Amino acid sequence: MSTVTENPTPAPEDPVKERGAWSLSWHGVSTVARLELRQRLRSTKWYIGLAVFFVIVGVVTLLTLLTMNASSVGDVPPELEGGAGRVVFDVVVFFVLLLGVLVAPTLSSSAINGDRKEGTLAILQVTLLTPAEIAIGKVLAAWAAALAFLVVSLPFLLVGIVEGRLSIAAVLVTIGLLAFVLAVVVTLGLGFSSLVPKTSSSAVLTYLGVASLTVITLIIFGLSLALTITPTKVQVWGVPSEVESSWDWSKDENPSFQCEWYESEWDQPHTERTWWLLAINPFVIVADAMPADQPAEEEFYIPEGVMSVIRYAVREARMGPELYSDQCYYGNQPMPAPPRDRDDSPVWPWGIGGLTLLGAGALVLAVRRLSIPVGKLPRGTRIA
Amino acid sequence: MTISVQGVRRHFGAVRAVDGVDLEARAGRVTALIGPNGAGKTTLLLMLAGLLVPDAGQIRIAGFDPVTQSRQARARTGWMPDAFGTWDSLTAREVLETFGAAYGMPPALATARATELLATVHLSEFAKQPAAVLSRGQKQRLGLARALVHDPQVLLLDEPAAGLDPRSRVDLRILLRALAAEGKTVLVSSHVLTELDELADDAVFISGGRSVSAEQLGALDAVGRQWRVTALDAGALTRWLSSTGAQFELEGAADDGSPVEGTPRGSVLIHIPDDAAAAALVRDAVSAGVPLVSIAPAGGVLEQTYLSLEEERR
Repeated sequence: MSTVTENPTPAPEDPVKERGAWSLSWHGVSTVARLELRQRLRSTKWYIGLAVFFVIVGVVTLLTLLTMNASSVGDVPPELEGGAGRVVFDVVVFFVLLLGVLVAPTLSSSAINGDRKEGTLAILQVTLLTPAEIAIGKVLAAWAAALAFLVVSLPFLLVGIVEGRLSIAAVLVTIGLLAFVLAVVVTLGLGFSSLVPKTSSSAVLTYLGVASLTVITLIIFGLSLALTITPTKVQVWGVPSEVESSWDWSKDENPSFQCEWYESEWDQPHTERTWWLLAINPFVIVADAMPADQPAEEEFYIPEGVMSVIRYAVREARMGPELYSDQCYYGNQPMPAPPRDRDDSPVWPWGIGGLTLLGAGALVLAVRRLSIPVGKLPRGTRIA
Repeated sequence: MTISVQGVRRHFGAVRAVDGVDLEARAGRVTALIGPNGAGKTTLLLMLAGLLVPDAGQIRIAGFDPVTQSRQARARTGWMPDAFGTWDSLTAREVLETFGAAYGMPPALATARATELLATVHLSEFAKQPAAVLSRGQKQRLGLARALVHDPQVLLLDEPAAGLDPRSRVDLRILLRALAAEGKTVLVSSHVLTELDELADDAVFISGGRSVSAEQLGALDAVGRQWRVTALDAGALTRWLSSTGAQFELEGAADDGSPVEGTPRGSVLIHIPDDAAAAALVRDAVSAGVPLVSIAPAGGVLEQTYLSLEEERR
């Protein structure tokens, strides 16, 4: 400190322009992301976590393979082998997703309040970085760390490809969705870490958020099922009961009924009002986006594998009760095709939309909380 | 005027942390912001650094309003908080390079600037050490280098000397004087007054969230201050002083003349207007046969002003 260098580095030549909170530059984002990754990677034994993750996924994959092989001892028709492979793939993907959403909150849920506590946030806020650059840089760093866990589990997903005879495209879509879900979870973590001053609270909130998406909404869907049951007008193809009862069965046991459309009122669950609770479930999104294991157009479609069951169920839930019913048991009188109003289009785009909104909300919150100067200071928060 | 504060207020809930501060800090000068703990120094600096919106009043940093022209003001401000952290896993060099990048410098420029600043704060040999192994004083110096990365026009330093050893304090003083000589505006908050005495050109006293006084230290000197005069024989000294009609206060003895622990024996406190008067007092005392041992200012100018302000408040 005894001497000051003669030629101080010139300040950036052009006058500083005012930039909004949301203004972004790659330079700024990558500066924050590199800072976070360096700090994170060097200060934690992250590779131990990765190794443990690898071993756990490996063990589960192996066990699933052994179980499926053991249960299909004997003559397995070749057409079923693919199904068994699909089960292996399904289990591995779901397991990776489960571990992923368990690990991801820890990567970002203290990113803002933790830095505030450490005294390293304010000194970054006063630089020329914008709040969005800080927030997105932190999200990118946490996401990159989460993706490392996904990369570690790739070998086992490959097993699923081989066993399940899946197209590369289907597997890529699945991996892409896993990565997307992890991005949403780390962004939620960042949002909560900007919201509450204590790191333990933001971790709890993030886990509650993950639990809400995966389990709690499922429970609410199940519990609300009874509440959605209402008397519903159904078009029935059959013989109206008054016609049936007017027939004198003692005279003729082979009535010559003509099936016709008639209206009846049945109690039906209206899951088309609550299906969205399932749509934002990451497991449902991943399952629904998988290609069907059999062409769904087949008359007696029996889904195989975990994902196919979920996919079938959630699309049924979205369609709600069937409003046309074939109750014609007399002779060969097939039900005329009802007007096609059943929409069994994919559910996962809705889920992606919902999760994107959640993530965007969390990001907006974080950017607002990172903006300076601060007017109203939230309770218990200090700036520096 | 490069820092201009007028009637600034800020409250946190019911607490009025800053309750009417006026302050001017000029380029090329070091201005001391002096006040007891809890006086509002840190809150004021947070507002100057552009982190907090004042409830009322106006702030200008190099002509820019930190609220409405946040970026322009921030680009010209270097802020060193009283309590700050470092990224423990980053090396000292990486910390500075990261901040260079955060101020929009291209990598080559940031690297050059980091090298330069590490030399300035005598941390070159620790460039490759993680910040976690640095001592408190070294971290403090790294924090100062960090605040200087973008060569700011205005420096806001909150208790910069806390935790520094005497050598580093001297270095800090020399560095801040050099920065002021370059034409920068330096605002230093502290409650350790002795270290500010030789550093600051101007002083602003704040107490209870209000600025109570703004002084030029030269002007304070002109008013004169308390000196401590010690003699081998306190009786001889007091008799001689009484004979000259001077007002003085005997130290080291209670009113009844018995010794008091913790104060020098046989010394008096006396108000002397300037150095010439002090020299005259020495000459006269010696020629009158008083066995003088020492004569020196009792405490710094700032300390005396500070204490006198405290007195006024009582």
